[in-house]
Amino acid sequence: MAKTDEHQAWLAELEAKSRAKQVGFINGISGKLRRPRSAEPPAHPFRGAPEFWNEFEWPIDERVEKFRANFKAAGGHSERLATMEDARAFIASKAEEMSAKYVIRQNQPELNALGLEEAIPDASFSVWNSDAEEHWKARAAEADFGIVVADYAAAYTGSVTVLSSKDKGRSVSLLPTVLMVIIPIERLHTRLGQILVNFDQAGRENLPAGIHFISGPSRSADIENDLTIGVHGPGVVYTLIVG
Amino acid sequence: MSVTGTQAGGATVKERAGLALNNDFLRKAVKFTTERLRNGKINAAEDHGNWDEWRERGRQIRLHTIAHLDYYLNLFADNARANGVNVHFADTAAEAVQISLDIAKRAEAKTVVKSKSMVTEELHLNHALEGIGVEAIETDLGEYIIQLAGETPSHIIIPAIHKNRYQIAELLSADAGETLAPDTQVLAGFVRRKLREKFLEADIGMTGCNFAIAETGSMVLFENEGNARMVTTVPKTQITLMGMERIIPSWSDLEVMATLLPRSATGQKLTVYMSGITGPRREVDADGPEEMHIIIVDNGRSLQLGDPEFQELLNCIRCGACLNACPVYRHIGGHAYGGTYSGPIGAVLTPALKKNVAEWDDIANASSLCGACYEACPVKIPLHEMLIYLRRRKLEAGRGDKMEALGMKGFAAVMSNAKRYGAVLKIGQLGQKLVVRDGGIRLKIGPLKGWNTYRVTPSLPKESFRQQWKTMEEEIRHGLQDMDPAMKDRMEQIVKDRAAGKGGHGHHG
Ligand code: SF4
Repeated sequence: MAKTDEHQAWLAELEAKSRAKQVGFINGISGKLRRPRSAEPPAHPFRGAPEFWNEFEWPIDERVEKFRANFKAAGGHSERLATMEDARAFIASKAEEMSAKYVIRQNQPELNALGLEEAIPDASFSVWNSDAEEHWKARAAEADFGIVVADYAAAYTGSVTVLSSKDKGRSVSLLPTVLMVIIPIERLHTRLGQILVNFDQAGRENLPAGIHFISGPSRSADIENDLTIGVHGPGVVYTLIVG
Repeated sequence: MSVTGTQAGGATVKERAGLALNNDFLRKAVKFTTERLRNGKINAAEDHGNWDEWRERGRQIRLHTIAHLDYYLNLFADNARANGVNVHFADTAAEAVQISLDIAKRAEAKTVVKSKSMVTEELHLNHALEGIGVEAIETDLGEYIIQLAGETPSHIIIPAIHKNRYQIAELLSADAGETLAPDTQVLAGFVRRKLREKFLEADIGMTGCNFAIAETGSMVLFENEGNARMVTTVPKTQITLMGMERIIPSWSDLEVMATLLPRSATGQKLTVYMSGITGPRREVDADGPEEMHIIIVDNGRSLQLGDPEFQELLNCIRCGACLNACPVYRHIGGHAYGGTYSGPIGAVLTPALKKNVAEWDDIANASSLCGACYEACPVKIPLHEMLIYLRRRKLEAGRGDKMEALGMKGFAAVMSNAKRYGAVLKIGQLGQKLVVRDGGIRLKIGPLKGWNTYRVTPSLPKESFRQQWKTMEEEIRHGLQDMDPAMKDRMEQIVKDRAAGKGGHGHHG
């Protein structure tokens, strides 16, 4: 993926142009707002959700219950399982039921320890980015099952959050036909804000390229307002809350 | 890197992807789920309490950001650049188009896959891309359909609302080269297969932007289908076009927008996907774009800055709630508005972006002053008042006939005398009285003449508003292009579904 020098030079030229233009563009805004441009951050008294909301929190059992209800209402499936062994058995039984032949999973320690490969012997397994020569987007595109461990989940909206990294492909939660998401129970929060605040705290340098909230199967109502699922992303999504 | 060449068990990836997509199990599983969603008892969206407090918070965040747009936009650009994004500034539509074309040429692109973006509609970018021999493919299901039909969107959230399944089956059958049954699942399944290939082949992915987070230089997309994720994950180059006002300060502020936008647009608690993208793929990542461009577009937006009557227009989060709420929109449909943006927001935004009241032609008169748009708006933009300002400006500019001028002078006098107009209804009542005194509501025959053609008596209580509208509807029927009744039904169904929280339409930036 080495870019040519010529291409780099062109990008550098664009950047110089953009930096020069930025000054006039931003000053133009200040001018229209009829005041000089300030370099100091303005006081932002209304940052984030209203105060009453930030105190709101469900106890864990209610969180689980609400998460599951919301996820199902959006057309997804959700189970609560006691242990990771149960999760392995659940995924294996679904793989058998749907005769999954190609499975791709993230390269996460929880999944490395799970022994899914042995539990689903009939499927051909790929582990994301485990071989630099492989074409990983293609591996994900052909997969029947994609398996990921969520970084966070929020009960109020029934959402899971997955972050990208070297070992966690964005494609794994997007391209396969069926998506299996394992949610360790301690990562299940009540509100979106409890997840989002982490990205403010982490700061720009520490954010991954992709942060994705997923709240059910891909869907559309574009044809006669008739709901259909599995339009571009996974049509079948299971969330397994473990613990 | 060619996707099609990769071997997997003796078949090309495209064939494999096709196989997976053809799998019966998806069909079966999906059938079960859609039936559950369609027929099952859907829990009505749990009432999200304190809605007005959320709206007020949303309004405050938008007001604050726009009031300090110079600071926040500058911060966003610096941070995005630090993330490795190529940031560009475009004063005009022509400049934004030129930058996009340059990038496409450099990438030697043959195809561009696009997720829904009103800004690119505004720029007529598809057309420009075709002009240099680049195929631009809309990948949102509804947008794909209307692109095949050679049309433009009629609704900012539900672009193909004006087509029925038989028309859609015909369009898609021609595309497929075989006859497809007019069945939603079959039609959507065809588009999934067809576009999956396009995603894998495309050189460039192009998106809009719902929100841009200043403090981290991230861009956020809301959608339901997964096509926006596709175009930001699979192609080598990503181009994002964003209106310069899309900024919010922080991820914490995103919680408020994420609470307001989906609920207002589709009645969902959150769209199926909400993606925050911070720069191109990292060196160690195995997917995501290698090169990422963000083009920040003015194109008339900054004209609203410092204008006390219109600055709040920049607070708009493009949810479409004002369209669904507007009785006139529901009657005449989106295409009648002529511009990129339809409905109450379009009626104000189209002329405002050009600072040209002449643009505010007869069809934009198509709004009652009933205030339903304001009540629906999640960031409380007083669109109904802006419509009055526009009318006044148009009259001041010498357009409009004498009777209207008389009526509007009355408006202006009353409005400048009274200190505050808290209640929307109040203005309506005043306006109605004035207009009635000046000769009554004249219902002109002939297409779209004069602003009072569509004037809905605003002083009635809500319960009887519908009945009143019906009478009005009958009275003015001759003067209007009627909305197709089936389309009207669908609009009404959408409003009902929103209340039940089962909307499935996408979003776009
Ligand atoms: S004006 Fe308000 S209701 Fe209309 S699209 Fe914009 S944010 Fe939504």
